[in-house]
Amino acid sequence: MKILVAVKQVAALDEDFEIRGDGRDVEPDCLIRDLNEWDDFSLEEAVKIKEAAAEPVEVVAVSVGPEEVDESLRKCLAKGADRALRVWDAAIAGSDSIAIARVLAAAARREAPGLLFAGVQSSDQSFAATGIAIAAFLGWPHAAVVSQLAYSPGAASAVFRRELEGGVLQAVEIRVPAVLTIQLGINTPRYASLRSIKQAAAKPIDVWSLADLQLSAADVGEAGSSSRVRRMYVPDKGRAELIEGDAARQAARLADIIREFKGAAA
Amino acid sequence: MDRTDAVTRILFEEFGITEVRLFYLLGYAAIAIFFYGVYVQIRKYRRGAALRLEGGLRSRFGAMLAAVLKGRTVDRRDPAAGGAHRLILYGFALLFAGTATITLQYDILEPLFGIRFWQGEFYLVFSLIMDVAGVALIAGLMFMMYRRGWMKLPKLDYARPDRAPGDPDFNRPQYRREDWAFLWILLIIGCTGYVLEAARLVWLAGRPEVWETRWWSPVGAFLAQLLIAFGLTEHGGALLRHGLWWFHGLIALVLIALIPYTKVKHIFTSAASLMVRDPRAAQRLPRVPESQAEAGAAKITDFNWKQLLNLDACTKCGRCHEACPARAVGAPLSPRDVILSLREFARATLESGEVPEAAELDVHGKAPGQVAMETLWSCRTCMACVEICPVAVEHVPIIVQMRRKLVEEGDMDPLLTKTLQTIHKTGNSFGESKRKRGAWSKALPFAVKDARKEPVDVLWFVGDYASFDPRNQKVSQLFASLLYEAGVDFGILYDAESNAGNDVRRVGEEGLYEVLAASNVDALSKASFKSVVTTDPHSFNTIRNEYPDFGGSYTIEHYTTLLERLFVQGRLMVTKPLKYRVTFHDPCHLGRFNQGYDAPRELLALLGCELIEMGRCRANSFCCGAGGGRIWVPDPVGAEKPAQNRIKEAAAIPGLEVYVVSCPKDLTMFEDALKTTGNEGKFVVKELIELIREATLARLPEPVPA
Repeated sequence: MKILVAVKQVAALDEDFEIRGDGRDVEPDCLIRDLNEWDDFSLEEAVKIKEAAAEPVEVVAVSVGPEEVDESLRKCLAKGADRALRVWDAAIAGSDSIAIARVLAAAARREAPGLLFAGVQSSDQSFAATGIAIAAFLGWPHAAVVSQLAYSPGAASAVFRRELEGGVLQAVEIRVPAVLTIQLGINTPRYASLRSIKQAAAKPIDVWSLADLQLSAADVGEAGSSSRVRRMYVPDKGRAELIEGDAARQAARLADIIREFKGAAA
Repeated sequence: MDRTDAVTRILFEEFGITEVRLFYLLGYAAIAIFFYGVYVQIRKYRRGAALRLEGGLRSRFGAMLAAVLKGRTVDRRDPAAGGAHRLILYGFALLFAGTATITLQYDILEPLFGIRFWQGEFYLVFSLIMDVAGVALIAGLMFMMYRRGWMKLPKLDYARPDRAPGDPDFNRPQYRREDWAFLWILLIIGCTGYVLEAARLVWLAGRPEVWETRWWSPVGAFLAQLLIAFGLTEHGGALLRHGLWWFHGLIALVLIALIPYTKVKHIFTSAASLMVRDPRAAQRLPRVPESQAEAGAAKITDFNWKQLLNLDACTKCGRCHEACPARAVGAPLSPRDVILSLREFARATLESGEVPEAAELDVHGKAPGQVAMETLWSCRTCMACVEICPVAVEHVPIIVQMRRKLVEEGDMDPLLTKTLQTIHKTGNSFGESKRKRGAWSKALPFAVKDARKEPVDVLWFVGDYASFDPRNQKVSQLFASLLYEAGVDFGILYDAESNAGNDVRRVGEEGLYEVLAASNVDALSKASFKSVVTTDPHSFNTIRNEYPDFGGSYTIEHYTTLLERLFVQGRLMVTKPLKYRVTFHDPCHLGRFNQGYDAPRELLALLGCELIEMGRCRANSFCCGAGGGRIWVPDPVGAEKPAQNRIKEAAAIPGLEVYVVSCPKDLTMFEDALKTTGNEGKFVVKELIELIREATLARLPEPVPA
């Protein structure tokens, strides 16, 4: 039995950041990269199933991205993944979450896992779409925001719980193979010591191209996406001003301000 | 018969040949049992990992002999026990050497070469020395019995802080029994020796060569007079001598046979441990070889032979138990019990013919001989235990090696996990951007040089707390001003500096430490400077003692010595003497680790402060509780914290105004403890730098023109 865990290397803003020249993203130098927090939990859940199972279970981490993503994949290997896959092609740059899901679904077809885990969302883009879109491409049953899971490898179905609004829990049984998006707090992710990360460098990270997945450049990038980022910016901050003086002065100042804003809007 | 010849010890006279043969047989048996035990012990140590010692054996032996004979290490913080130990040691050694000379002549020199020296005046002086040695031995033993039985010293209580009453391993009465048996057996040997001597004198009172020289063995002679006064006849003396001879002899043989199997073996193991001591045990932790698959100790055989020897060297004197700050606040750790647990474990697994599969250490179990993870995580790596151990047991490297395994397994506090991840990601424990590391310097009226871009005389390695903690940033600004005003050409590494890694290494995250050390060594190698200064004793320790293993050897000092020099050179002047009554807290990493005791005190004297020492000062300084990564893990709620314990100690000083620290972590820990112990308003916690600034800032009034 095999569990495929889709992971993403996310970006966080450093102290002072700048918007990229084309205005559609942050300057890459101003970003600190790390494994998406949700993916820590989904990988841990897969490794826990593997460790508790009587039969052999293979945990495979898969990600879409350039070479620098290997750093996050090595973390996955250090934490117990048996293998890691990375899919990349220059054409993939600019893909939205649906196009990424198309790539991951193709990888899943090739790997044929019994379960596919993804994080509920990524901390940098927050679409919360990739996992469910993979299921759509594969035509598999799926469930989002799983907060507790019981599955013994080989069984025809998995039982899990989802947390709903108002403290209500929903207990669900799902036919496998299935796609589950995993919520924070489902387990306690283990610590990957630097030594284990270093040693994980010896484990293989396979790199697949679009051709390996029978995809073409038209399936990915802006061409294969159903949305595109038009602009990224920091909104102007609002201002506050305390107007002092007697009523006449206050009224005069207020009138000035209103005129000022009218002028800006015109 | 020549009279000189006749003056000698009566050995087997009146013994039948069978009796003499029986004694030799028993003697050889005892020696055989002894040597088998020695073999088993040495085999046990050899089952440990390999280790190459630095330094020559001869100088090591000399240092050990000096330490043992002077009893210097046993004297520390317990001179009474040290004195009694010396009496026993000298007494026992002389009596043993005396008995050995008998064998030398009787069994070796005389039968083989016909040499006899053990007679006449030599014998008489020998007798006197033996009698005096016996008195020393018995006096020492009696004091030790008084100490164990009546003084009720907490350090001799074997109750463990990491086990509950009722646990089979809780207070280990078998240890108490063994202690007493050891004292009694030596006492009985000593006393029966005297009575035997007296009985022999009574028996041979008719022989002038014996009787007339009796006062050369004064105790025996006195007892003989007493026995005669009580009516013991020559015949009775003969019978008593015969019986006691066997009793005394047998019990001595039993002692010899038992040496390798009981605490008596400390004679050898403690001496050997002192001989192989590593004077830099805790300030420089061992590297994990690249080839080693697993970091840390998973099996008892992952400890090296020296560490296994350390386990057997322990005499349960309890000095580490007494000095440990974790133990003092009720944490489930006693360094003594870590050592004793591992000793029992090593004994159970490594003394048999085959090493069993179950030589695995289990940090989750509380079976006898196991060290639990709560115990390991309680350690502050303050080195108080290593520093005071009279027999050179090196507890801290053992604890850190076990922690390395815990880190590999992820068996640690979630907050610690988070901190390590943060340090990996950002290079500092505050989770701040690298770019903000030098931001504190922007508030200064002058620019702090960027040592990445221009050469400087002094490179200041600032460290995490001094860079990011708002309270400590103020101190950093003051220190920069002092250097600036003294005309020191200095700079910092800004973004290129990372957490120095001292505490990361002591947590046991060796891989992350390697990354941090390599990154800092790289940054330092790209800068041009003459020397390094740190305001943080933790950074000071690792850069000074551990970076050389990673290719970075620098001239480095703590700020206290640098500032002291600036005063001596007249580049800093006290313009307003401070008349404060102060006490000084020695930071572990400056004091115990690197012997930086004097510079801070001399600075305080220069400032005009009145220094009142706390009871626990200098080498015996009491850790603030932040070491070994514990600053990142909250202490249990409700229980006393080491810093609170320490502040209470300071609060007992009448009229104390300032509690002076010289470490950023101390400032954080003790300002907190000052508030939580309700001492706020009574006295203040200040960095030494703050006092120096205060004393040098106020300018004397300008002279008024006439």
